[in-house]
Amino acid sequence: MKKKPTKIETKALKFLTAVSSVEYSKPTLKMGSLIASVFDASLGVVYVGEKASEFHGSSVNLTRHNLDNWNIIHPGLEVLEWALKELKKLNPENRDLAKIQFNPDHVYEEDGRVLVILPNEDGSRVELILREGELVNELRKEIQLEGYDLAIIGGSQNKRHLAHSLIQYLPSSIFVLQKFNPRVKYKLLLLVDDSSATSKSVKWGALIAEKLGWPVRTLTVSKTKRFGEGYMGAAATAKKYFDDKGIEVEQFFLTGDPVRTFVEFAADNHFVIMGASTLNPVKQLLFGSKPIKTLEQTDVPILIVR
Amino acid sequence: MNIYIDILFWVRQKKWFLFTLLYGLVMYQWVSPPPDLNLAGYHALIIISMALILIITEPLPLPAIAMFMLFMQVVWGLDTANNVASSFMNDAVFFIMGSLMLAVAIVSQGLDKRLALGIIKLTGHKTWRIIAGFTAISAILSSFIGEHTVAAMMMPVGLTLVRYAHKDPRKVAGLTAALLFSIAYGATIGSIGTPSGGGRNVIMMNYWSEFGAGSVSYLEWMKYVYPMVIIEIPITVLILLWTFRPEQTNLDSAVRKLIIDVARAGKMKGREWLAIFLFILVFLGWVFLSEAFGLGIIALLGVFLYLAFGLVEWRELNRKTNWGVILLFGSAISIGIQMYDTGAAEWVAHIIITNLGRVIESPTMLQGSVSVLLTGAMSNVLSSSATVAVVGPIVLDLGGDPILIGFMTAIASAFGYFTAVAAPACTIIYSSGLVKSKDFLRAGWKMGVLSVVSLLLLSLIWWPML
Repeated sequence: MKKKPTKIETKALKFLTAVSSVEYSKPTLKMGSLIASVFDASLGVVYVGEKASEFHGSSVNLTRHNLDNWNIIHPGLEVLEWALKELKKLNPENRDLAKIQFNPDHVYEEDGRVLVILPNEDGSRVELILREGELVNELRKEIQLEGYDLAIIGGSQNKRHLAHSLIQYLPSSIFVLQKFNPRVKYKLLLLVDDSSATSKSVKWGALIAEKLGWPVRTLTVSKTKRFGEGYMGAAATAKKYFDDKGIEVEQFFLTGDPVRTFVEFAADNHFVIMGASTLNPVKQLLFGSKPIKTLEQTDVPILIVR
Repeated sequence: MNIYIDILFWVRQKKWFLFTLLYGLVMYQWVSPPPDLNLAGYHALIIISMALILIITEPLPLPAIAMFMLFMQVVWGLDTANNVASSFMNDAVFFIMGSLMLAVAIVSQGLDKRLALGIIKLTGHKTWRIIAGFTAISAILSSFIGEHTVAAMMMPVGLTLVRYAHKDPRKVAGLTAALLFSIAYGATIGSIGTPSGGGRNVIMMNYWSEFGAGSVSYLEWMKYVYPMVIIEIPITVLILLWTFRPEQTNLDSAVRKLIIDVARAGKMKGREWLAIFLFILVFLGWVFLSEAFGLGIIALLGVFLYLAFGLVEWRELNRKTNWGVILLFGSAISIGIQMYDTGAAEWVAHIIITNLGRVIESPTMLQGSVSVLLTGAMSNVLSSSATVAVVGPIVLDLGGDPILIGFMTAIASAFGYFTAVAAPACTIIYSSGLVKSKDFLRAGWKMGVLSVVSLLLLSLIWWPML
């Protein structure tokens, strides 16, 4: 392992896609790449593998060093190598990316992670990151370390537990790609209320709609029949923002339990965007929040903007 | 807001640590010691149970748990600081330290390529013969140089064969599992064969001498235990072939490619011969001088020779040796000695005998069953050496011949076939990402039955003849 070279260039937004395996991560990587291109963001790819028990950690490391001598790379690096190939296939027009070659010699070990930095001649770069440990813990460390703005994660079997932990503890916006079907024509569904994160989610939603040409719907849900000034004001601001951008938007105002209404409305053909909760973290832990409950209950892709 | 999230996240990460502290506080403050156990023994039990929770759940680094066990002995008045320090460092800890460093020194010589050629020459191209060769060589080598060393050297050979057999190892999952498990289970069954096969064997030898139960020489150990290794090798091969059913019966093309790969290494070099010669010296030292000098001192002498002849750099040894594990074993043995000295081990043994004595009438059967089942079960969730360090003082207090009970315990601590965490060799093959947890269960229960039956035969037929 070598010393990491100094950083070459940092783009305005940094996105991180978490991949788990060659079999299951293709849709996540595809969507991650698409969203990163929409925002013109740099994209890091992280693989979080299982960590060996501390008892045998040094034996595993000794074996891995020996495997290096036989040109057998870490299984996580194999997934990352596959991810780079996929990114190239997904972005055939990106000549800079096409020039970048996976090279195990560009592997650096630092801050408890293994980093493959693949610099291109013109200074752009792709970062492939290998971490070992518990998923939420490792993603949190990576996001804090590199200041990522968005984490893109595939759906999980252990959805309830993961939803809570991801939303509660990851310091970035989160995009959870549940049951993403590339054949479905998704509509963008923006959940609008008076929370402070709504304005950012409207901006992000508008950018996605503009670049991908997806139809947009906004949904405002009130528990009572009367919609408060805050809700109506947020909806009007959102409408104006879309109008200014020349994006057509359908607005819906429904009453009922917010989470149930979101879930029923989203069905299976919406791409949901909502703001992160501003509730006290302890209350979120004990009682959940709208984003946590929505993520737990819906099966469509959901972007939670922080 | 962020500070609250940080605190909540810390609590989430450290929940088992907080639980352990709470458990310790409740036991210390509000639960009275049993009437037939003295206060020091009760405190020793609290410390060891807290340490066990921390070791299994891993909320803290191992060295922190080691330090916890050490300072708590002094804080709760089990012994003085000097006595705790002297029980912390002994020949068993020297041996663990020496064998971990020897592993780094040996693996870094690149002898695995020679080993690969040797195995292939012996086995030929047939899959079943290669699996038999892997199992036998792993078992025999691990008897002397430890299972983690063997697994680290054999893994590249196994993985290279798998990759040459098929581009995608998942398409030959049966072959992959059979080859990798032949390394892991081979190394594990072999590790019981001699004292130097694993740290746990030396920990047991240390307890025998510490508790006045007698001593066993290197060759005597082999005389008692090696027949079990020999019995288990062919049966392990059958179990692996039966369980995983390799997709290819002949690895002709893969073997040829492997030979070409390995042939590039050229002829044996002087430093490789020297590395082998030095290890033979260490081995002879263990066989003939360990009673006088101790296994640990000889292992350290071996490390010294590797360093003195420039076969390995100190920087490499320092970087690749798990010092945390050494600290942990030192402190686990130290608290184990306290358990014995304070009567806590005897108290636990008495409880087990009283309760299980109602079910199993024969005292010999009872002692054997307890030592084997307790050790075997614990070694599947804990590391095998840690199991012997904790369980050793208890089983040696069960009654009966402490040497035979000790042998049973040391042997049963290698029965960690069911999980990837029990034995270093199992963790190593699991880290390849090519075998799954359920594979350990599929083959592990058969290995468990085989091992218990073999141990039973050994203790009922072979040991009485000695």
